[in-house]
Amino acid sequence: MTVSSAAAAPAGEPVADEGVRVEEPTAWYDRSWPGSHRLDKVERRAQASQSFWTALVGVPAVFSVLRLGIEAGGELQTTLLLVANVGPVNLLAGFLTTAARLLATALVAVFALGAVFGASVDRLPPGTRRRPLFARWAEITPAWLVLASFLLALVTWPLLYLPLLVPAFVAAFQLRPEQLHERVAPRVLLIVALLGGYAWLLLPTLLDAARQGKPLVVALLALPPLLALGISGPLPRVVIGPLASLTEVAVLVVLVWASLPVISTPVLPLTVTTVGPVNGPTEDVRGHVVTTDDVNMILLQEQGGVRYVPVDQVRAQVLCPSEEELPRYQLRIHDFHVEDSLMEGLGRRVRPVHRIDAACRAVG
Amino acid sequence: MNESSTGLRFRPVATTLAVALTLILAAAAGCDSRQEPELPSVQEKLRESHIYGQPKLRIGVASNEPLMGELRDGVHVGFDVEIARYIAASLGYEGDQRLEFVPVSTEDRIPALQGGTVDLVVSSFSMTEDRKKLVSFAGPYFVTTQEVMVPIRLKDKIRTIEDLRDPAYKICTSGGSTTEAELEKHQVRTFVVKDVGDCVAGIRAGRYDAVSSDETMLAGFLSRHPTEFEIVDMPFGTSELIGVGVPISDPALRDLVAFFLDKSYRLERAGRASPWQTAYNRTLGPWLRAEKPQPQPLEVPELVDFDDKAPR
Repeated sequence: MTVSSAAAAPAGEPVADEGVRVEEPTAWYDRSWPGSHRLDKVERRAQASQSFWTALVGVPAVFSVLRLGIEAGGELQTTLLLVANVGPVNLLAGFLTTAARLLATALVAVFALGAVFGASVDRLPPGTRRRPLFARWAEITPAWLVLASFLLALVTWPLLYLPLLVPAFVAAFQLRPEQLHERVAPRVLLIVALLGGYAWLLLPTLLDAARQGKPLVVALLALPPLLALGISGPLPRVVIGPLASLTEVAVLVVLVWASLPVISTPVLPLTVTTVGPVNGPTEDVRGHVVTTDDVNMILLQEQGGVRYVPVDQVRAQVLCPSEEELPRYQLRIHDFHVEDSLMEGLGRRVRPVHRIDAACRAVG
Repeated sequence: MNESSTGLRFRPVATTLAVALTLILAAAAGCDSRQEPELPSVQEKLRESHIYGQPKLRIGVASNEPLMGELRDGVHVGFDVEIARYIAASLGYEGDQRLEFVPVSTEDRIPALQGGTVDLVVSSFSMTEDRKKLVSFAGPYFVTTQEVMVPIRLKDKIRTIEDLRDPAYKICTSGGSTTEAELEKHQVRTFVVKDVGDCVAGIRAGRYDAVSSDETMLAGFLSRHPTEFEIVDMPFGTSELIGVGVPISDPALRDLVAFFLDKSYRLERAGRASPWQTAYNRTLGPWLRAEKPQPQPLEVPELVDFDDKAPR
């Protein structure tokens, strides 16, 4: 892909155009186009790469702190207690565990759309259209990062949505059926064989979904490979502009919308702790263990509030699942639940027994 | 590029269509992932049931039926008791601190449920149409048949229903039981006592010659006196479905009990160790004439639970 020489400068610091003249400082909101502040391609790449890595490190950090505040129920003192006790590495690891799916989705969406827009704009005469934002992002991204994003999506997306990765991948790398084979007959045969293999893999699930009356599941499993056949290639000129703006807004809205549950996902594991004196009545406390020292176990209760439980009063403790983990479908793909990701599905094969402790049921 | 001009013209349209459809599918997937499950969950049913938030679960069990429900050295043991423990643990009540076994006699089972002195009854409770008007049943968790137990000295003499009709033999059974009605149907003259234990004591004292009751009950007494009695298989032709009694006012609890019995049934069908099988092997199993599997529970609701994603 080549960079259109008419492309405008992205957000940036005041930059000196080397050689001829010194530009006035450019404000971040300055979107004048075609650009009077033409930046050198290499410089733009460096700048974009810098902001990309800043975002990659900064966004999880900010999100993690936000999550602590939400986890603490908005209470300042509780937030401070969590900040004091939850290590940054744990916090970041916890964040990545729950947000990897969202992160992969965002990257895949940007790269796939970016490649589609990029391929479309490249066909137009130079200077007729400003390159859409996603196209510019996709362009400056190294191929290994795009591949890594798809790999991350492959292992973290629920199996039900995984077929969508096929058209996304084909679009991101602009693969075309012609690349399979130069002659038509072998090409068609290859495509039929690939689709046949896919159908063989998913047919029992598709039939089951049809029997259960789940048209969306059928569409999500059956359509994407067919769409992948036609997704690469340039878009008509009239479509590019509106679609680019629409998808930019849509991706942003979806990210905000999808990040809300991620922010409110607990940082600490949910437990039920049985508390009480020896030979006395006991009480079950449902909540998250913040820390344990020689004297107390500090519990952040699920309903709110912090409990300091003397260590010698802790009788038992069990790990509990949360209700957000309940499945919505009763469908499996060769014994892998459709709502499990590949990673989760493989994990369940390593530890197949899922024991729900009685204490998890008893306390609301 | 070697495409025809028609191909070139249609390609962008196809691409637009594919991109648009993929985006629509992705949006639909996004919305779908935020939906609540359609089916009710175990947790929701628990919240609906009357036991939710109760510190203890009270289960009515028999205390004088060997192998089924018996109080031995202050501890409740038996097949019914083990089934009760499994159901209680599934409902969130595990351990003696959270579980209270209330001894109920045969005739007290329905009043105990109606009066709210127990939350469940697991005590050889036959699921009959008449009883279903007063209490709800979850199950069956066992299917039993009517049998006759004779002392060893008579094991070659009493072999058929015809032999039971012989006035020379005194046949004993417990009052108000389904067995009594069945024997009457076959014109067998019976001596009716309060419970089966009295019949067994009577035979040992020489007052009666045979006792008829359901298979599990007789197996229980056989386990107590293994060298004195033998169970004779007779074709009475009726079978009884044993279920868990639940207050009729609490359909959510009935659904939960049925769901957990079914869970054990499915485990057994999958060839894995089920709580039912463990209970059976530890209690009834060695004493019954033929190996019995867990019967399929009836009217099992579809519920969502945390372990639904686990491999089957």
